[in-house]
Amino acid sequence: MGATVRMVEAPRTTRARDLLKTFLLLELWVGLWVTLKNQFRPHITVEYPKERVDLSPRFRGIPRLRFHPESGEELCIACHLCETVCPDDCIHIVSEKKPDGKGKRLVSFEINLERCCFCGLCVDPCPTKPLTAIYMSHDYEMADFKRDNFVAPLKVLLNGVDPKDYKE
Amino acid sequence: MDQVTLIQRLLIPTLQILAVVLVLPLLIAYLQLVERKVLGFMQARLAPRRVGWHGLLQPIADAVKLLIKEDIIPEKADRFLFTLAPIATVIPALAALAVIPIAGASFTVAGYEVKPFITDVNVALLYLLAISSLGIYGIILGGWASNSKYSLLGALRSSAQMISYEVPLGFAIIGVLMLAGSASMVEIVEAQKSAGVWYVLPQIVGFFCYFIAAIAETNRVPFDLPEAEAELVAGFHTEYSGMKFAFFFLAEYTNMIVVSCIVTVLFFGGWLRPFPNVESLWWLENGWLILLPLTIGGFAGWLFGQKTRRGIPPMIAGGAIGAAAGAVLAIGDAGGLASLHVPVVSGAFWFFLKISVFLFMYIWFRGTYPRYRYDQLMALGWKWLIPLSVANVIGTGLAIVVKNAVLGKG
Repeated sequence: MGATVRMVEAPRTTRARDLLKTFLLLELWVGLWVTLKNQFRPHITVEYPKERVDLSPRFRGIPRLRFHPESGEELCIACHLCETVCPDDCIHIVSEKKPDGKGKRLVSFEINLERCCFCGLCVDPCPTKPLTAIYMSHDYEMADFKRDNFVAPLKVLLNGVDPKDYKE
Repeated sequence: MDQVTLIQRLLIPTLQILAVVLVLPLLIAYLQLVERKVLGFMQARLAPRRVGWHGLLQPIADAVKLLIKEDIIPEKADRFLFTLAPIATVIPALAALAVIPIAGASFTVAGYEVKPFITDVNVALLYLLAISSLGIYGIILGGWASNSKYSLLGALRSSAQMISYEVPLGFAIIGVLMLAGSASMVEIVEAQKSAGVWYVLPQIVGFFCYFIAAIAETNRVPFDLPEAEAELVAGFHTEYSGMKFAFFFLAEYTNMIVVSCIVTVLFFGGWLRPFPNVESLWWLENGWLILLPLTIGGFAGWLFGQKTRRGIPPMIAGGAIGAAAGAVLAIGDAGGLASLHVPVVSGAFWFFLKISVFLFMYIWFRGTYPRYRYDQLMALGWKWLIPLSVANVIGTGLAIVVKNAVLGKG
């Protein structure tokens, strides 16, 4: 049982209008008008090295460690929670007992940025209050020439990377 | 032949040819910058900005790049034809400029009369048609000699396109030929002056057919099937690099300029101002005094608006200031500034203004229209343009006969 298709004749006025449209190339003129108009629209280009896009506060860039904003001490208590939770195993912590007895302190803290997937899961379990010791920074420029440089040691994690010219 | 005629006949045209050949590449380099800018603005982008102020040195950088780039000839290519093809494309394109008059009056330099054209042959239109069809030869040669499937496909498309669009191109011109009664470019413009109207009005259909067919002949969007970058990599010049590629590039843009010149001369009165016979509009002869400041002011405002993201108001403000200053200059001509009125400058101004409009339209179309499919291209050429242009010839003929009968001539 094939479906029957019934042709519906277009009303005479519509057909006449369509014909006129075709002959006056109406659609082409409309298209030209659109491009002409858009020439005078302000541009939306962000000239990257000179300007930067505004990042969302939740943007997850390179993970970094934080100093205490007042005392300037490391916040990290070397609890290894971020190392444990990391799905990529990219965090590597070496810690020792504090000489004055209570608690532990960092010897080294490395993040392998080649493996990091920037998921931010390391931030969630961080127990220091009110600021987490590890946080996702807003830095996203990570290009480098050597693979070794992608393993960020404690010094880099705390102080950030100095902007540098990319020379080999 | 005495010395004066020798200089007049030989040296001056030679210098003119040299001027065209040397200045044109620079002009084209900047035309390309304009194209990239306009396309960028149409897409709310900024276009080249890094080389020089607002990218003004970008064409130079591009030219240097093309010059020092490695010139590759594919192993399986026909070396002779492969080298010949770009030359065979660019020479006809440049040769077509020989008959284009850029102004009405000639001027004198050091006592010698310099004509505003290289030559004024009485079969200029025929010459243009012939030479512009020769340009396709290089494209086909290049496509064939490259020994690459994409190049060959591009060349094949180009030849098919050429055959289809050569016909309406020729027919569209015939209307003008009948009205002007001459095939000389200068006389066609003179005829428009005595008719008091640009031929675009009586020949609107002819203009329409000619311009569309000419876009197809120059292989530009929306008829850029021979190079269709989405399908054929780069079409006929896929295998070309360095200076050879630059030659194809040069030829394409020269052809654009030639077509704009022909359209201007045939349909838009060449160097004539608008309403060439209306005496009270004499100050339009000094149009450049108004339009130049207007353009500069408007352009500066536009750039400012683009940069500060303020949009269109700065442009209008800049243009208005420029136009006001220009109008004061132009209409104040009668009071002391009469020396500014030089027929050659005025003619060249209107001529180049009209050319720029058509060159802008080329870019505008490129920013607007998608490419035709192959069968659509053929349908447009054979089913619409050819009947339309033939009808235009017949209609023009009838109109001339009726007009002559009414006026009691012939």
